Amino acid sequence: MAKKLQKYIKTLPNGFKVTAVPLPGYKQTYTVAMANFGSVDTNLGQGKYLPAGIAHFIEHKLFAKPGYDVSEKFAKYGANSNAYTSYTKTAYLFQTLENPYENLKILLDLFQHPYFTEDNVNSERGIINQEIQMYLDMPEWVLEQRILGQLYPNDPISFDIAGSTASLQQINKDNLLATYQNGYRPNNMDLVLVGDVDFDKVVSIVEASPFEQMDEQTDIKPNKFLQIGAGGQESMKISQSRSAFGIRVDTKLTGYELVKYQYILNMIMETLIGESSTNYQSMTNKNIIDDSFSYNVVAENGYCFIIVSGSTNKPDEFQNHLREYFLKNDLDKILTKDKFERIRRDAIGAYLFAQNSPDAIANQIAELQFYDVDYLQLVQLLNSTTLDEVLATSKEIFKENKFTYYNLIADGK
Amino acid sequence: MREVLAKNVVLNVKPLTQFRTIKIQIDFLRPINKDESTKRRLLANVLSNSTEKYPSFKAINDREMELYGAEVNAYTRSLLNFNDLGFSVEFADPSFLIGDTKQIENNLDLLGEIIFQPNLAGDDEFDNTAFDVEKRNMLSNLQAIQDNQDLVSMLELSKLIHQDEPNKLVPIFGDESQLRALTNAELLDYYQDAINNDFVLINVVGNVDPENFAQLVKQKFSGKLLQQERNDIEIKFESFDKLIKDPSHGQDHKKVNQSRLAIGYYVNKIDKGFSHLAPQAMNLILGGDDQSQLFLQVREKNSLAYSVSSSYAPNNHLLTITAGLDAKTIDQALSLINVQLDYMRSGKFTDEQIEHAKKVLFTRRQVGSDNIQFHIMRSIWESVYPKTILSEAEYKKELDKLDRKHIIAAANNIHLIADYKLIGE
Repeated sequence: MAKKLQKYIKTLPNGFKVTAVPLPGYKQTYTVAMANFGSVDTNLGQGKYLPAGIAHFIEHKLFAKPGYDVSEKFAKYGANSNAYTSYTKTAYLFQTLENPYENLKILLDLFQHPYFTEDNVNSERGIINQEIQMYLDMPEWVLEQRILGQLYPNDPISFDIAGSTASLQQINKDNLLATYQNGYRPNNMDLVLVGDVDFDKVVSIVEASPFEQMDEQTDIKPNKFLQIGAGGQESMKISQSRSAFGIRVDTKLTGYELVKYQYILNMIMETLIGESSTNYQSMTNKNIIDDSFSYNVVAENGYCFIIVSGSTNKPDEFQNHLREYFLKNDLDKILTKDKFERIRRDAIGAYLFAQNSPDAIANQIAELQFYDVDYLQLVQLLNSTTLDEVLATSKEIFKENKFTYYNLIADGK
Repeated sequence: MREVLAKNVVLNVKPLTQFRTIKIQIDFLRPINKDESTKRRLLANVLSNSTEKYPSFKAINDREMELYGAEVNAYTRSLLNFNDLGFSVEFADPSFLIGDTKQIENNLDLLGEIIFQPNLAGDDEFDNTAFDVEKRNMLSNLQAIQDNQDLVSMLELSKLIHQDEPNKLVPIFGDESQLRALTNAELLDYYQDAINNDFVLINVVGNVDPENFAQLVKQKFSGKLLQQERNDIEIKFESFDKLIKDPSHGQDHKKVNQSRLAIGYYVNKIDKGFSHLAPQAMNLILGGDDQSQLFLQVREKNSLAYSVSSSYAPNNHLLTITAGLDAKTIDQALSLINVQLDYMRSGKFTDEQIEHAKKVLFTRRQVGSDNIQFHIMRSIWESVYPKTILSEAEYKKELDKLDRKHIIAAANNIHLIADYKLIGE
């Protein structure tokens, strides 16, 4: 057997977790700093919410410093930098051939020293507004927002991660700073380096850049979910209709158990509607779906849902077929031992494929650590899952009152 | 290891232990022809839908899963003046798996099934379900292009750029009206022609023994790939002289939120003795990354666009600038883009910008080699167009000699040939 990945990890007294993974043969070092804080973290309690898009705005504006932009500094030291915001996480990253330690110092400066001014906040609004407009032209993105609006009515997860033209107007330097101070706490963040680095040196650099706890923390409240929406549709100036079928899974699982649960849900969906299922073949042959058909299972920070979507000429048949099929749920007949073994092998293969990519390794480690899951133990997690567990889970999730839908109808067709 | 297995059938094996996967890719090349691009794309889809042994999409998928999540791909793309009909399988390196998995042989067999053992209905047609489903999927994908405004604007620009080259006026991924007219029997005829006559490249990258792999290929494919006299291929370049004298313009109005700009330029060759990398360096300073003039001036300083960038294709010398912006700021953005081109032509860029460009070019090349596809593509270029391939040492030498006057020369050789505006309403 070839050598497995090794991992070095240290949690500093302030709770900040530092990890390094050597990757022999690779020329680059890839580093990500991740905050367990994303676009849904806006609930201040008592009906008060932060403006939608504030986490994403912080991500944009943390690059601005007095008299310089952090990306210039990364460039000076040969690194390519970037950042992204998801529903529950914000990440800052660089990729470099040289100077990993200098670039690490720049990364620490990036997320540890905010510099929000009225001017730089105002100038960013125009750029982000263009980003929002760009996404509004993408039907897949619009559909995701709409189905989330049905799964979680009026919840922050159903708003665009970048916010809206109106919510951007409510963002200012003061609420940016206050929100930053809440979300970017050392015990709410981690750092992962993948490449040829000296771990002790990495730790000493991080320790030399003290990341103090901010002022007293304001709790961001977990969102309380309203009853699932009845579904809906709208016309859009597009050439093809798109449909999404949503399943909300209300679970109290957290951490390792939630990650395992997500794997089980993926296994159920692959068996029932994945490309290797009889149902996929049948829906394709009946012209209900085309090859854009896919499903996505999300299980994180209180949210757990499945979205099945694709282009279709028959949105009603698409919805009816899936609803009836899931309610019938014949998983116990089709998830044979052979099929179960094939899915397990497929997951092991996917795990190895991801290890070709330093960025995939770093981002997965950074994210899984927030769920107390060791990336290097993922195969054990897969192997610990039993057929009975999968069948039992499938009996819990397919309930009529947890289903919803949304259709984007091409030009009113 | 490079071995010519038969006339115009080349095998390249790159044994590398860096990756956790192994990739085998087989490419069939012939000149791009407007009457064939649609057929080739549908052929790729039909062949990967099902085979004689795996007679449904489900059966192929089950086999991929059995082989630890093997990923099979069939595609077409343009490569210089050639239409590349390609098939690949990437799979987990067996040295990371327990037991004797026969991964390499099994995956090569799967790829061979897909290319050489199609799912037929009698002697004259592909299986009707496979044909109908894939034709419908392809039609659906072609229609969906209209919902991707970046792609729409790039395709419109491409039409303007290639207006005198009819074979390139049909996109490499096909045309809706040609597809509607295409019959099952015609496609099977075309399959026989392509599979027997195209120039063939077989590439493998990963943890394999070159001699054993070559033996395996000969053993598996001797009757299919190695018996025929295959066609030669010849590299040809398009001339843009007419467009340089008289650039082409296009615009459309559409109900979209964001407007798009797509501008095409031809970059004439610079003097002999100048660095080959001058156009790439010029492109980097102009719009190639987040430190570029376009990004800093159009996006950051003037907040005129969320996306604005330039890209340069060394093989056809085309420079493209694209931007996503508000309809009412198009003229302002265009004039700012021209200011940046003048900035490059007059050599106002700083020494720091030159050093940055050199550093980025070097880094991108090195980091690129951390990707398995980089090695496959390099093998392809070594076989098809070897004179453009620079070794590490040659690349470094070209970078070292790159200086300000080379970049200015490249910038002064930029000629507008076409522009397209998609104006949102």
